[in-house]
Amino acid sequence: MLLDEIKSVLSFAAFKPDADDSAVPWRQRFDGRKSVLLNVSRSQTSWRGMNKKGKLEDGGVMDGEFADVTPQRGEEWRGMTESGWCGLSVNHRFIISLENNLMRGDNCVSLLRTNPRAVLGPKYDRGKRYAVCHHPETTASLLLAVEESMVKVTEDLLKTVQLRPARVCCGLFALLEHAVLSISRAVDTGTPPNFILIVACEGSIGVLVQQDGQWKDIRCRSGLGPEAVETSLQIISPLIAKVPQGSPVYFVSDGNDGKFRSEIMVHLERVGAVDLTQDDLLWTILGEH
Amino acid sequence: MTDYLCHDFKTPRTDAARRLPSTFRFIPIIFYVAIVGSAYMMTMDYFAFQKAKRQKMEADERKSRIEGERDSLNSEFAELEAESKKAEAVAQWMEGARNIQPIVVKLARAVAAETRLGTLSLERDEDVAANIALSLKVSGTNATTEVINIENALGQLQYRSLSPQQTKTEDDIEYRSTLVRSAQ
Repeated sequence: MLLDEIKSVLSFAAFKPDADDSAVPWRQRFDGRKSVLLNVSRSQTSWRGMNKKGKLEDGGVMDGEFADVTPQRGEEWRGMTESGWCGLSVNHRFIISLENNLMRGDNCVSLLRTNPRAVLGPKYDRGKRYAVCHHPETTASLLLAVEESMVKVTEDLLKTVQLRPARVCCGLFALLEHAVLSISRAVDTGTPPNFILIVACEGSIGVLVQQDGQWKDIRCRSGLGPEAVETSLQIISPLIAKVPQGSPVYFVSDGNDGKFRSEIMVHLERVGAVDLTQDDLLWTILGEH
Repeated sequence: MTDYLCHDFKTPRTDAARRLPSTFRFIPIIFYVAIVGSAYMMTMDYFAFQKAKRQKMEADERKSRIEGERDSLNSEFAELEAESKKAEAVAQWMEGARNIQPIVVKLARAVAAETRLGTLSLERDEDVAANIALSLKVSGTNATTEVINIENALGQLQYRSLSPQQTKTEDDIEYRSTLVRSAQ
């Protein structure tokens, strides 16, 4: 043990971030190491490998519940990573709500993980895991709540195939955070006071409405089936009717499912939607940040 | 978007040790610098050792060469000393034989060129230092005449032969006598 510690100091490994250090971006954690990213939806699991240089490599998709997919693909995933670490995105059984006046601060993120009651107060629910995304200019926040039991079951399933989650996140929420920050930091156009942001991630959809510079509404749905486009339009249409005409509509998807993206954009283009999707956007966000 | 950090709500590990502070990087850095420095010093010491060995070999060679020269000079000096001692002995003999030198000169002049003197011995009598025992061997056809000439020449030096003895074999004559200084 002592020899291992000496070796880790002399090889500078002791100064590198741990694979599961959530305070460090994924790229830095796995600099020079292979990793695999998993996105777990209700009836589908997709995965993508990242090589030692942080470039995306081969991946795959398999239909079925995660409990059924894991035993079949566990060995393949283990071969795509080093030391069994993987990045996990759970994309179902979550709720995104709009909150105001949540605690903000440098340690808020870690506090939300270790002592969520201190951050959320009476809004805290014992059986949930939380993540938060703050409005850059107002006191509004998006609060993600995920079923804790589902997270634990998913982690335990990974353990059965000798995989360890270096991060557990929600792919849809990650896309939403990324898109919100992208829009707010758009230098050329500036942040529009009114907009609708539609985020889709492998069978899940979230719609955020901003009016007069304030987040007004958030709707989300996971586990969309074969009629995902129709269901999505049913969610989106009333929200579009709320905002003033001519307000920009942004659409962001995971960048993997071209069929859903093209079908929904046919409808969204009628209201002038702008597609911000990039290829492999979900994997890029999870693998970079 | 560089400062965007994806959220994480995994179950935290309980066995996670705190990462060492970045400032502690100087420990392995010093370690590697010490290794490189040690390697450098050892390399330099090795080359210095090799150079010292070469210099020692050269010094040994120079020392042996100089010792050889010294030995040859010593032997030369010893030879010269031996020659000097011989010369001193000759000089002492010359000094000691000053009285009989006229006898030798007279004997040499008395003998003709074609006559050979085989042996010539002049010895002082231990009891009477004035008496000199003469012994010589004359070879040649006129040996008898030469002996008479020798006696005459010695007579000119006021020496007379006492109990001379001659032994003649073919052309050689062995002559012995005791030279006694005549009274003036």
